Amino acid sequence: MYARNFFSLWVSGPLVFTVMSVTGCSTVAPPKEQLAAAELAVQQANKSKAPQYSPLELRMAMDKLDEAKRAMNKKEYTVARRLAEEALVDAQVAEAKAASEDARRAASDLRQSLETLRREAERSSRGG
Amino acid sequence: MKRLDNLDLCAAAALMSLSMACATVPPPALEQARENYQQMHRDDRVSAQAPVASYEASQALRRTEQAWEQSSDEIEVKHLAYLTNRRVEIARETAQQKAAETEAQQLKQEREKFLLETRTREAERAKQLAESRAREVQIAQQEAEARARDSQEAQRKAQAATDRAAELEKRFAELKAKQTDRGFELTLSDVLFEFDKANLKAGSARSLTKITEFLRENPQRQITIEGYTDNVGSDAYNRDLSQRRAETVRDFFVQNGISANRISARGLGEEYPVASNDTEAGRQQNRRVQIIIVDEKGQAG
Repeated sequence: MYARNFFSLWVSGPLVFTVMSVTGCSTVAPPKEQLAAAELAVQQANKSKAPQYSPLELRMAMDKLDEAKRAMNKKEYTVARRLAEEALVDAQVAEAKAASEDARRAASDLRQSLETLRREAERSSRGG
Repeated sequence: MKRLDNLDLCAAAALMSLSMACATVPPPALEQARENYQQMHRDDRVSAQAPVASYEASQALRRTEQAWEQSSDEIEVKHLAYLTNRRVEIARETAQQKAAETEAQQLKQEREKFLLETRTREAERAKQLAESRAREVQIAQQEAEARARDSQEAQRKAQAATDRAAELEKRFAELKAKQTDRGFELTLSDVLFEFDKANLKAGSARSLTKITEFLRENPQRQITIEGYTDNVGSDAYNRDLSQRRAETVRDFFVQNGISANRISARGLGEEYPVASNDTEAGRQQNRRVQIIIVDEKGQAG
């Protein structure tokens, strides 16, 4: 009795914990929501200016989403969750970067057109 | 009691295995995420321009810290740190986007203002141009009108001069003036003198009054009065008599308001008779004055 207790507590406790934490097995639920969110974020980024201005970030997001799906199929839920979460932020980074680049370009275009207008006005007011 | 001890020991060992890393320094990924977040957090523009993204970044960091404190699962911490870094990046980009959009908005307003000003300036310039054109046209019109007036005036003056010349001719015709190389020469047939007299005979005044009027109307004209006699008497006497006759006529004009400066009077005696001195009628015709009308410059009018 003593010996069994000793074994069960000293060995099985840490063992069970270790097995659980490393493989993330039965106690971890499939990250369906995270995957759906990542999928949506990637779709949204694809519809934005991201393919034009931040293709690298977008590509990363898509790759991670694919990997997450593969992990999901292999029931590696923790891995799948992490990959889905990263795919989501990567897609959002791609979108944010593209939007800011787009805004910067728009501002720059406006600045240039204003400068051109000013130069032309100055020229025409001076006469030739 | 012993079992309890064992249990305690067991739990302690389990905790030990859990907290092996916890007791030591945090993993570099967490350190980096913290620093990254702090850097963003110090930039007021990011929290001002992208408050939601900033909040999400702070939440991501909080989850990372919690995971580190609670589980010390380095892989999970590293994963959460990655999410934190990405959230920080999103916040930064969003802030930049907002700043660029604000700038674009200002530039748009500036451009609109500028275009409006340009249009206003151009309209003003066009208006000024039109006004100056209109002024030029008006000036040209006025000049044309002035020229027309001038030419009318010139025509009128020319007409007046012609009228005056015609009038003059008529007057002279009335006075039986003859144009000679000395000027208009008038022999006043009714201004005649008694033998050896220099005073005007009654009835002389009519022609003299006409000449007075003429002199008043033509103040630039000057006259020379020449007195003559018949051939009775000495030359010297007759010259003096003829001088007095000329001066009598001059005095008449002066008394009627003509300036003495415009009149010269001289006696030519019995020279240049206009009729024969053999008869009394002829001698009467020779006892006469002649008036020569010259203009201001002494030229024959």
